[in-house]
Amino acid sequence: MTTTAADVSAGLAPAPSTKSRSGPGKWQPWLFLFPFLIPFVLFYVAPIAYAFYQSLFKIERTGGIFGKPSQVFAGLSQYASVFSDQDFRASILRVLVFGIVQIPVMLLISLGLALLLDSTLVYFKRFLRISFFVPYGVPGVIAAIMWGFIYSPNLSPIVALLNKLNISIDFLGTHVVLWSIANVVTWTYAGYNMLIIYSALLSIPQEIFEAARLDGASNWDIARRIKIPSVAPALVLTGVFSIIGTLQLFTEAKVFTNISTAITSSYTPNLVVLAKAQNNYNQSAALSVTLAVGTFILSFLFLKLTNRRAGA
Amino acid sequence: MKIALHSRRAIALLGIGAMTLGVAACGSSSDSAATPAASSSAAPAASSSSSAAATSADSSSAAPAETSSSAAESAAPAGDAVNLTFSTWVPGMDKVVDLWNAKNPKIQVKVSITPNGGSGTYQNFLNGVKAGTAPDLGQIEYDSLANFRVQDALEDISAVPGVKEAKDSFIPWTWGQVDFAGSGGVYAIPQDAGPMAMFYRKDIFDGLGLKPPTTWAEYAEAAAKINAADPTHYITHFSQGDPNWYTGLLWQAGAKLFDNSGDGVKVNLDSDPKAAEVNSYWQDLISKKLVATNLQGFSPELYKAWDDGSIATWISAAWGYSTIRDNAPAGAGKWAVAPMPQWTAGGNAAGNWGGSSTAVLKGSKHVAEAAQFAIWLNTDPEALTMGNKLGGLYPAAVAGAELPALKEGVAFYGDQKIFDVFNEASKGVDASFQWGPTMTDTYNAIKDGVAATLGGTSTLADAFKLAQEKTVASLEAQAIPVVK
Repeated sequence: MTTTAADVSAGLAPAPSTKSRSGPGKWQPWLFLFPFLIPFVLFYVAPIAYAFYQSLFKIERTGGIFGKPSQVFAGLSQYASVFSDQDFRASILRVLVFGIVQIPVMLLISLGLALLLDSTLVYFKRFLRISFFVPYGVPGVIAAIMWGFIYSPNLSPIVALLNKLNISIDFLGTHVVLWSIANVVTWTYAGYNMLIIYSALLSIPQEIFEAARLDGASNWDIARRIKIPSVAPALVLTGVFSIIGTLQLFTEAKVFTNISTAITSSYTPNLVVLAKAQNNYNQSAALSVTLAVGTFILSFLFLKLTNRRAGA
Repeated sequence: MKIALHSRRAIALLGIGAMTLGVAACGSSSDSAATPAASSSAAPAASSSSSAAATSADSSSAAPAETSSSAAESAAPAGDAVNLTFSTWVPGMDKVVDLWNAKNPKIQVKVSITPNGGSGTYQNFLNGVKAGTAPDLGQIEYDSLANFRVQDALEDISAVPGVKEAKDSFIPWTWGQVDFAGSGGVYAIPQDAGPMAMFYRKDIFDGLGLKPPTTWAEYAEAAAKINAADPTHYITHFSQGDPNWYTGLLWQAGAKLFDNSGDGVKVNLDSDPKAAEVNSYWQDLISKKLVATNLQGFSPELYKAWDDGSIATWISAAWGYSTIRDNAPAGAGKWAVAPMPQWTAGGNAAGNWGGSSTAVLKGSKHVAEAAQFAIWLNTDPEALTMGNKLGGLYPAAVAGAELPALKEGVAFYGDQKIFDVFNEASKGVDASFQWGPTMTDTYNAIKDGVAATLGGTSTLADAFKLAQEKTVASLEAQAIPVVK
């Protein structure tokens, strides 16, 4: 089964390109990459390098409370305080719990929607494809505000309806709000991930299905034994995107601080960074770098893990 | 049919692109080392984690052009006009500045209207000061002045002629905010103030046969009666998101949260006896569920609750009159204003919530001219009238109390002359109250603690214990000496 997946993906990533890289034209790709590389270095690499540089300093002050502050080299001491920062640790733990639940749920929904669209069962495919994708087109802030109204205990028609049915649930309460946010995130990105998985499905050669049908495979068999394994790389890709997105969780939580009393200033790692940036550049730089490295490690581990499985 | 086929192919192509990326990411470790960083810019929720650094890098790259131009200005012959830049979030300030520009051809001010301080403008000021691109003048709220001072972002304007003399033109406590209770130096010119009073729904109090409470004890009794009459009705909401509202209540009680007058900051958040009293008072109301705990300040939910009468009072600042008027129109004619309830019967103590100053930011090439403009802006009767009319400012200048607009009855409040109440309140604000130098961190800690309190998992006393710890930690991280 796994060999099928590997074969399919190998067929999709055009093999010849790797061969043509050797030889005299080695520099040519760089020429084409130039327009991308310049802004990438200027606006991505440089700020990261600057943040790292800033994180190596701390403030010193001479002459009492309002004495003149100066930056002195402090080595990795900012990082020491990052790791002893309980709020930061708690926020990381919170988004990890969030991700462990939200990412699989979202990807299952995305996969389900993609399979539905790809099946012969559904009509109005183009319309549905767009409808599934539309939420992704709604800016995160707007989505959060919109859902905020739906969650609001006093304004929401849904809460009012639930109240009539004698169900009282505070979507913005301490224990529920994290999952209310998860719902917003799922709503926003399920369609986006669906599109990636769906495109992977479209690129499976039709002959495989014909062969499978001739062998007597049902729709369900085809989905389970051919389609899902074939889109495994797409699922890995969307998984990585989602892990990165989860650790960077910010917009929804930030917007919800205005309507929920349950979201603290250190609810997600990015909120911690933001709060620190008000008074302490160096520490917030160290927090950012730590978060970036953490995100990288987690995505890397995820890739290694899924890679090993695919290769086994 | 053809089109459908075409788009199908396009999507397949997109898929191949995405898959190649995925496959590349699954490949050798050196490949995948590059991928997460590169792909995170395309990732759904990827907000750059180094945005703070990015902004400062941005502004520093813009720095040379700006400094060279202002250097050219200062080198220009004395006959030329001085050009100043001024950032504020008061609506209509451009009109006030037009007036100044017409009268002062030699000192021309260019105003830019920005979001309010907490929404990013303070961060821009501080970044700008670091990069040398800050405006000459900026609007800064009193509770942030100490923070700006420890970041060395303010010019001391006390030596500018006319500044020290201006002291008597202002309500004493507002001057105490800008000269740091007379600790030497003047760091801004007061602009507006937020003396507090009690907005209340007269119709609700009348309907229950209640008089507007004059003491906090009466306020608690009224809270119980209002809630007993209808369990969905509360005397007020306890706001979690407005820690500066709550510090206004502590200010009224005479709490001294910070003392900056010695060699180090003395932080009294968890040790001030007056603060402890206020904490236990409100803790009691929260525990007994006599105040609404699920309403955020300035939220549509709160406005609806004001409109439908389920919230009966709001202890708020002078500027709050327009908040109610503009957001809860159904209450027209039903609201009234009374002085804040007192801790001791017959007292006249009031708290303050908000209010801001006009400061000359560090690095300005024209400190004297900037200070002159700031004084005019905040004392000239014409400027004050315009600031009040267009921007809703309740002036910090003593002369402000005489503004015609502040002597008239306000239609929304049944033609009550509500500003008389605020004028009186203004006299009862303790002039010696001081803010800490890392107030955003303190506020965040109070907010978080209050959130836990309202969620039922903590108490206000614990919230202030937490705030004490976090404030001390943040002061120490800034190398600010702390007196223990």
